[in-house]
Amino acid sequence: GAMEAAELRVGFVGAGRMAGGLARGLLRAGKVPASSILASAPSDKNLDTWRESGCRTTHCNLEVLQESTLVFLATKPHILPAVLQEIRPAVGPHHIVVSLAAGVTLQTLQRLLPAGTKVLRLMPNLPCVVQAGAMVFARGSGAGDGEAALLKSLLSSCGLCEEVPESYINIHTGLSGSGVAYVYLFAEALAEGAVKMGMPGGLASRIAAQTLLGAAKMMLETGEHPAKLRGDVCTPGGTTIHALHQLEKGALRATVMNAVEAATNRACDVAED
Amino acid sequence: VQKMGVNFTVSNKDTVKSSDVLFLAVKPPIIPFILEEVGPDIEARHIVVSCAAGVTISSIEKKLSTFCPTPKVIRCMTNTPVIVREGATVYATGTHADVEDGKLLEQLMASVGFCTEVEEDLIDAVTGLSGSGPAYAFTALDALADGGVKMGLPRRLAVRLGAQALLGAAKMLLESEQHPGQLKDNVCSPGGATIHALHFLESGGFRSLLINAVEASCIRTRELQHLADQEKISPAAIKKTLLDKVKLESPSLSVASASKVSLFTNKSPSSKKN
Repeated sequence: GAMEAAELRVGFVGAGRMAGGLARGLLRAGKVPASSILASAPSDKNLDTWRESGCRTTHCNLEVLQESTLVFLATKPHILPAVLQEIRPAVGPHHIVVSLAAGVTLQTLQRLLPAGTKVLRLMPNLPCVVQAGAMVFARGSGAGDGEAALLKSLLSSCGLCEEVPESYINIHTGLSGSGVAYVYLFAEALAEGAVKMGMPGGLASRIAAQTLLGAAKMMLETGEHPAKLRGDVCTPGGTTIHALHQLEKGALRATVMNAVEAATNRACDVAED
Repeated sequence: VQKMGVNFTVSNKDTVKSSDVLFLAVKPPIIPFILEEVGPDIEARHIVVSCAAGVTISSIEKKLSTFCPTPKVIRCMTNTPVIVREGATVYATGTHADVEDGKLLEQLMASVGFCTEVEEDLIDAVTGLSGSGPAYAFTALDALADGGVKMGLPRRLAVRLGAQALLGAAKMLLESEQHPGQLKDNVCSPGGATIHALHFLESGGFRSLLINAVEASCIRTRELQHLADQEKISPAAIKKTLLDKVKLESPSLSVASASKVSLFTNKSPSSKKN
């Protein structure tokens, strides 16, 4: 049956930035009370902020499994196999296990966990920490519609959350996981252009960020094709079309496509290691 | 022209006298000379339509006003596909041309394609885009056909398919409310052939090349106009140069009527190289 979010006990194995971002999203949206959240980490370094928010913390990964129903695996990818070995005895049919580890496939996860475990794989991106993330998840063979719906409902508090086939996850990395860095690069360049033309850097940076935010918001809210939105800004013979011509001369589009392709291919390569 | 059933004459004067709408379809440097010649026969009823690239309305009005106080002048820019009734034509009306005069021209030119009125200062841009545009398309089609041939298609078939693809795409765009970017997306299935191909186009700066081309054609049109405005060659000298050329091209014309050789050409107005 459908699980009430309010009764849900959520656990995080690993308490780094991404886990913190997801937890913060859940708390801010009022989806889960802090007392229902338990996070584990080897040291106290990361756990202080969790405690300050009212979440419970531990140094014992097994305890997270014992206390929680929905468990996020948020360790670094290379230590995940060892963690899975450790927690495996405590994983039961009532658990929903969501792995955030880049490059660790559902097949691997299912192999290292008891047969039939409800496993899902989540690929978030950094802006989850400010609840403006872009997340995709794929379900393993043991996870059903109920688990998918629950995850989507909970994580919508952190941004956009969509279910996809597992094969899209590496593409999501190239587009949006790494994509955030492309945007930072673009924002930096915009600001530098403004500085060259005489604007102070701090102001230029804030305006650059707001420009990206505003444009993105218009795309999301109007649902209009970006080409059309672009055309709407271009008065004939005006400043915008002159600038766009420069971007086209620099083959910006192809370069961006190359970037997404490179990151996606790298994600695939790394996953096979 | 005569095969089409059109009346033909070697007398420009006759052409003017028996016409209401007069298309000046000579090369731009010849325009002043023609205007001198037919000026006296221009009446208030005439609508003078110049298709000459870079020749301004004001320059024509100035020339004609020595003969007729209120000459109706319309300037038009069209393109070669008028031949197949898929032309792209714009026109700008002069000081004394009425709304109905513009509409009359629009009706005429709409019968051979798309026609709309614009401000005169946009005509150079139109030249860059749709005036020269067919040349860009022919170049693209030639290259697309090469691509087809490279991948194994016979040339004729490749040309036919390429042309049809562009024709179809243009028709889709004209009949759709959607942005071309959206229409492009509709063709690109994820990870498919088309998106791979488009990536190549983008890498080659395809878009910027096209922008550059339109810009270059527009700028050149403006340059030529300035050159023409500054041209100090006398009409008589132009006349002689052209007559010599005509004699070379049409030895059957008798020398006696050389002074009245009609410069009327049966080529479509924008066949001149811009």
